[in-house]
Amino acid sequence: MSNSLRVLILKELRELLRDPKILVGMVLMPVLILPLMGGAISVSQRAVERELAHASIGVWDRDGSEVSSSLVGFLRYVNQTVILISAGNVSEAVGRLLETNSSILLEIPEGYGENISRGLRGVLHVYVVLKSLGIAETGKGSVVEQVVSTYGYALSLEKIQALLQEANVTGVEPAAVYSPLSVEYSSVVRGRVVDVPPESIFGLMMSQGIMLPVTSMILLTFAMSIAATSIAVEKEEKTLETLVTLPVGRLTILAGKLAGSILVAVAGAVAYMVGFGYYMTTAFGFVPSEMMNVDLRDLGLSMGPGGLLLLGATMFVTLVSGLALALSIAVFTDSVRGAQSLVGFLNIPIMVPMIILMFTDLGMLPLPLQAVLYAIPYTHTILASKAVFMGDYFVVLRSILYITLFTLATLYIAAKIFTSERIITARPRTWKITLRRRR
Amino acid sequence: MGPAIVAEHLVKRFGEVLALDGVSFRVEEGEIYGLIGPNGAGKTTALRIVGTVIRPTSGSVRVFGVDVVREASRVREMISYLPEEAGAYPNLSGLEYLRFMASFYRGEGRDVEAMVEEGVRISGLGERLRDRVKGYSKGMKRRLLVARTLMVRPRLAIMDEPTAGLDVVHALHIRRTIRGYAEEEGTTILLSSHNMLEVEFLCDRVALINRGRIVAEGTPEELKEEYGAENLEEVFVEATRVV
Repeated sequence: MSNSLRVLILKELRELLRDPKILVGMVLMPVLILPLMGGAISVSQRAVERELAHASIGVWDRDGSEVSSSLVGFLRYVNQTVILISAGNVSEAVGRLLETNSSILLEIPEGYGENISRGLRGVLHVYVVLKSLGIAETGKGSVVEQVVSTYGYALSLEKIQALLQEANVTGVEPAAVYSPLSVEYSSVVRGRVVDVPPESIFGLMMSQGIMLPVTSMILLTFAMSIAATSIAVEKEEKTLETLVTLPVGRLTILAGKLAGSILVAVAGAVAYMVGFGYYMTTAFGFVPSEMMNVDLRDLGLSMGPGGLLLLGATMFVTLVSGLALALSIAVFTDSVRGAQSLVGFLNIPIMVPMIILMFTDLGMLPLPLQAVLYAIPYTHTILASKAVFMGDYFVVLRSILYITLFTLATLYIAAKIFTSERIITARPRTWKITLRRRR
Repeated sequence: MGPAIVAEHLVKRFGEVLALDGVSFRVEEGEIYGLIGPNGAGKTTALRIVGTVIRPTSGSVRVFGVDVVREASRVREMISYLPEEAGAYPNLSGLEYLRFMASFYRGEGRDVEAMVEEGVRISGLGERLRDRVKGYSKGMKRRLLVARTLMVRPRLAIMDEPTAGLDVVHALHIRRTIRGYAEEEGTTILLSSHNMLEVEFLCDRVALINRGRIVAEGTPEELKEEYGAENLEEVFVEATRVV
């Protein structure tokens, strides 16, 4: 590396990392805010879980039979606090319920026990008191439903058993009569059969295979914003005119800006990934997941050194093209704010393919939309990131080739601008709209 | 000594606007030469062409015999350019800024630290050079930038409005610095100003420029005598009236 380039990169790093907007906004905020958000979600979710696990249930037993007492006993057995409520009508029952700290009322109507005994369906009624309309309240009804369905299952098996005995049928399992079909799923991955449900693999791919392109795109938007800021600061502070008269090539100046922006963007991306990692572990750490037992390497869905290298190449050409584009555009502004706004528009062709490809495959889309998405170079970054996981190196190489061609074009434009006087004389245009008065 | 700058028939168009309309001038080595005129006269455009920032639409400029368009990189090794209203990197300290700039001129027996020391001396900002530039006043920034321009000992220093917008104290410091440096080091200086008194104090020779054309040229004394004026302001009024 030439001395001039090293000096320029060091200057870029100093300038950018000492800028509070970049240091706080792109490096410190993700490290602090994301774990805090994750922590907040975790704390509130755990509080909801605790609340629901020990929720007290008001039971208005209008039936008063042995069968209804059996249900109340089961509720107590599964650790639910039961508050028995006596009332003449619903309003009175709800009034009594509101005097307690419970917000769920289970009404066992008259005739419930008789229906069950006669082999008819027993109907229960649940009233849920909505207080804050928060997410936690949506789970209140399910607390009773879960207990009741377990109780109902046990009741069914008991009934089936009794009926089987009455009919003198032997060798038949009550559970098989209740649910005669059982489906076991396996997945076929790259020709290999693995005894893992496809949902588990999709879930894992979503968490690992999607995280990578999403992080890549975030890194790209960071880098573009930084590059635009670096050139806009030069114009805003009027340092660029001095810089272009120094005994250093203008392409070296361009290379210094590209390299400086990439390095700061990498710092931002690392901070983001660290923050996001904490966010995921803190916010969703309590979710028990079968998918965690699946190892992508066992399925041949992980990246080898070759794949990693190709992924690195994809990211490199993507970054360089994005930065060259951002620098070329930012030259036409005269302030940091103007540059940020203009470069903000570039987030559209980055984010739209990313969001679409998170939920679907390109092949499923209508042809015109496919054509538009294929034309956007950043679609290929996401395609390549996904294809690397699947070991589809043809798609990866095709994507790298397409992005490289686009990168060369953007670098050519950036180099043209940097070596011409437009780098100094370019100004934002003001579009004047003239309203013609009709005579 | 040969000429430091030879500008011939310079024309520069920005779209419809004709910024320079056939400007020619010659600056001898060791001279302080001033381009004076009102705002929009074409001073900055002429300086930018000499400084290799922009290219002329037609005409030519040679700096110590080197063409500014064809061999811009060679010219940049000999010059140091101070643009009008130039700034410095706000998040660098004054010292870091000087060191950054000096780094591009190292080699051929030139030591970065020696250049920085020279910059520290010329700026006269002392300990404040350790502070970040964003805390500097306009005058302090300009002193830092003048120091940056001269510390690299260029053969030609190009200064666009070196004291514009500064208070008397800072302006005086900068004028004395420029004058003293030119005398001590024999550096050729091309500067622009619309402050006629400043030009009279600093320049060996001046060119009066108006609407992209040079309307008069000579030493301040010659011009005053030619136009029967007491100062350069009156010379300028008379010269533009004639044209």
